[in-house]
Amino acid sequence: MGDWILIEGRGITKTFPGVRALDGVDLELRAGETHILLGENGAGKSTLMKILSGAYPPDAGEVFIDGQRVEHFDPRVAQRMGVGIIYQEFNLIPYMNVAQNIFLGRFPTRYGLLDHQKMHADAAALLGSLNMNVDTQALVVDLSPAQQQMVEIAKALSIHSKILIMDEPTSSLSERETEQLFATIHQLNAKGIGIIYISHRLQEIHEVGDRVSVLRDGQLIGRRAIDEVTVDDLVGMMVGRSVKDMFERDYQPRGAECLRVEKLSSGNRLHDVSLTLHAGEIVGLAGLVGSGRTDLARAIYGVDRYDRGEIYLFGEAISGLQAPDMVERGVSLLPEDRKNQGLALILPVAENIVVSSLDRLFPRMVVSRKKEQAVALRYVERLRIATPSTSRLAQYLSGGNQQKVVLAKWMCTHAKVFIFDEPTRGIDVGAKAEIHALMNELVREGAAVLMISSELPEIIGMSDRIYVMRAGRIVAEIPHGDATQERIIEYAMGADEVRKKTGQAAPSRSEP
Amino acid sequence: MTNPKPSSLLIRVPSAAWVIVLMMTIFTAINPRYLTPDNLVNIVLQNAVLLILALGATLVILSEGIDLSAGSVLTLSGVTCVSVMKHLMESGGSNALAMAAGVAVGLLTGALMGATTGGLIAIGNMPPFIASLGMMGVGSALSLVLANSTAIYISNPLFSFLGEKLDQSIDLPWMQYLSMPTFIAIAVFSVIWVTLYHTPFGRYVIAIGGNESGARLSGVNTVVWKWMVYLVAGVLASISGITLAARLEAADSIVGVGWEFDAIAATILGGTSFAKGKGGTGGTVLGVLVIGVARNGLNVIGVPSLWQPALTGTIIILAIVFETVLSRWKEGRRWVWHD
Repeated sequence: MGDWILIEGRGITKTFPGVRALDGVDLELRAGETHILLGENGAGKSTLMKILSGAYPPDAGEVFIDGQRVEHFDPRVAQRMGVGIIYQEFNLIPYMNVAQNIFLGRFPTRYGLLDHQKMHADAAALLGSLNMNVDTQALVVDLSPAQQQMVEIAKALSIHSKILIMDEPTSSLSERETEQLFATIHQLNAKGIGIIYISHRLQEIHEVGDRVSVLRDGQLIGRRAIDEVTVDDLVGMMVGRSVKDMFERDYQPRGAECLRVEKLSSGNRLHDVSLTLHAGEIVGLAGLVGSGRTDLARAIYGVDRYDRGEIYLFGEAISGLQAPDMVERGVSLLPEDRKNQGLALILPVAENIVVSSLDRLFPRMVVSRKKEQAVALRYVERLRIATPSTSRLAQYLSGGNQQKVVLAKWMCTHAKVFIFDEPTRGIDVGAKAEIHALMNELVREGAAVLMISSELPEIIGMSDRIYVMRAGRIVAEIPHGDATQERIIEYAMGADEVRKKTGQAAPSRSEP
Repeated sequence: MTNPKPSSLLIRVPSAAWVIVLMMTIFTAINPRYLTPDNLVNIVLQNAVLLILALGATLVILSEGIDLSAGSVLTLSGVTCVSVMKHLMESGGSNALAMAAGVAVGLLTGALMGATTGGLIAIGNMPPFIASLGMMGVGSALSLVLANSTAIYISNPLFSFLGEKLDQSIDLPWMQYLSMPTFIAIAVFSVIWVTLYHTPFGRYVIAIGGNESGARLSGVNTVVWKWMVYLVAGVLASISGITLAARLEAADSIVGVGWEFDAIAATILGGTSFAKGKGGTGGTVLGVLVIGVARNGLNVIGVPSLWQPALTGTIIILAIVFETVLSRWKEGRRWVWHD
């Protein structure tokens, strides 16, 4: 095995409208190795994986498999050349049994009828060779996530894959199941199969990987042997950039408590979450995708039910209230998916702005067009929403202006507590600064803002205090003076725990 | 290592079977004449045609689709079949030739209608509800035009045989308990059962219903197989239409109105669900029997006919509620994928 290179990408570049997702990235996978692909959310890992499996064509760059340049790469060609991919979301058929799932699309037949015997025998042999203990007759819907993943692996190997790409394979697994998966991975490596393992869990890397490539902002920052890097090196490589002075905040003494969450728990998504939010402050909620930030926001807002815990709004216990009650009490949510959840795209700007304030504006239940337009115009001017008129349909506005319309909708309800979920994702730099200025203005006027963001500079630049979430828990509360990207990312990824385990020294912290 | 399955009788027997047993008990208590061999044979005969139609609905619903045109395809196939047959007989063709040609044209009608609906859905990417609703309109209008808004009567002993009890043509004991529609339904059921569980096509139907994009990524040609589902459903509708025409010795231009909903109701009653490719043909037989037993029983115990649809509808709703409660209880006891 050794140095034989199974798949190689050279100078891979991919641009999406407005974003350069990958910029001249090189990646190689040797036979029998597990190569970790590490990076923050949005660093370009998934895009790279999709290119290597033929799902996206690259704009520039070449893919080589077994030393041969691949032309006309698509998922079918990739399959034929031995690239198997296991997406984070499994692609199994729930009410079909294990054997049929493994051979879906390539069923063995005799006289046009399914050869059940051969199918089960082949599936059992395949699973057995991987020491996987799964009944081939069981329905997939009855399997645990770990067993489903085994079926996915067996399915990938049934097409004789030499190259396996796994996208965050442990995200739905328990600790024991994770160990089981790692054992399988080592076994596959021993057979010469190369694995590209995408992860942002620092804890796993040293257990499963041979080499690691770090991506940041679409660029390859470095490729190292696992034994030669420490967790701190990797965090440094992933974060890199420094926070420039692009955020203007007027910090002021905080006012009365607006919102208090006490020991909120919900299923396996939230565990004993407690936080406070005061008038006049922006509180940042940092953490990886899937760490429970959005779940927390939805629980507070009354969209999702929770099992235990208490939420106080302006000192009053409000458990069990639903979103409409929350709006009435001055709480607002600017959802992450603003196109589908924040706006009615096919309605005019004016109607979007007043939609949540109709009861307040028109207590006699008769909507006056004139008043609607006048109110909307006031907000369009105040928020400087770039639209030719208030009757323009929301779908024709840019992302930044759409977000301003969502914000105007909530300001129109005279909301006091704003929950922003990724307020500036996908918004260009100029509009971003304007949204930030508006947030600053809101808190200066006595509102309170809870801001979920995956952009660390935004979190650090805008927040009075920062809560960091990991796996459904709040693992740290950091005042803005002490916040650095390294510190947040360490908490978010659990580097503190890795260090506890491996006994590495704590890093020296410096303001970037 | 299969998960331990709950083993109580209540759970192992499908809920529709309980509903049937319960109804039959009540009907018998009210009118003991209900539980006679003659009446039971009648129930089977009366519902053979619905079963054929419902098997098509089952395939379509398993693939996460819906076919509202089934009833009108049933009508239209009967009309084309009988028209052609009558025309040939009037111009001097033999009974056998006329019947063969008529049946062939009837089947072809169903295939064409199904292929069109399927094409709109699978190739044209149209929502099944809309595509089949449109084809339902096309089918009913064609039937009315071709049959001149009335019924076309046909007198062809060979054809009528397809709709009869066997004692009418075979002089042997027990023949009054057997009928051609029942045989046809059993034959169709067998073919569909084998197709669903023992051919790649059947598995693809379930794969498409369970996770269409997953199936596509696994290399399944989802367009072709989805199209095929509607084509097969069209052919099944035409088989039921022809059988019904043979039984009535006539093709009525509105005979199939509303049948698509009975077929869908039977499928759902039988435990096939609109999501995830869950369910199957066996349940549909029970679902058809729930509807059939209810209709027949209401007649036998003398419920005024105007009230019968209301009671049938209520029974269907209660049966579904029972099924839902039972399956929730079942799900609660086993590992669920995710909600």
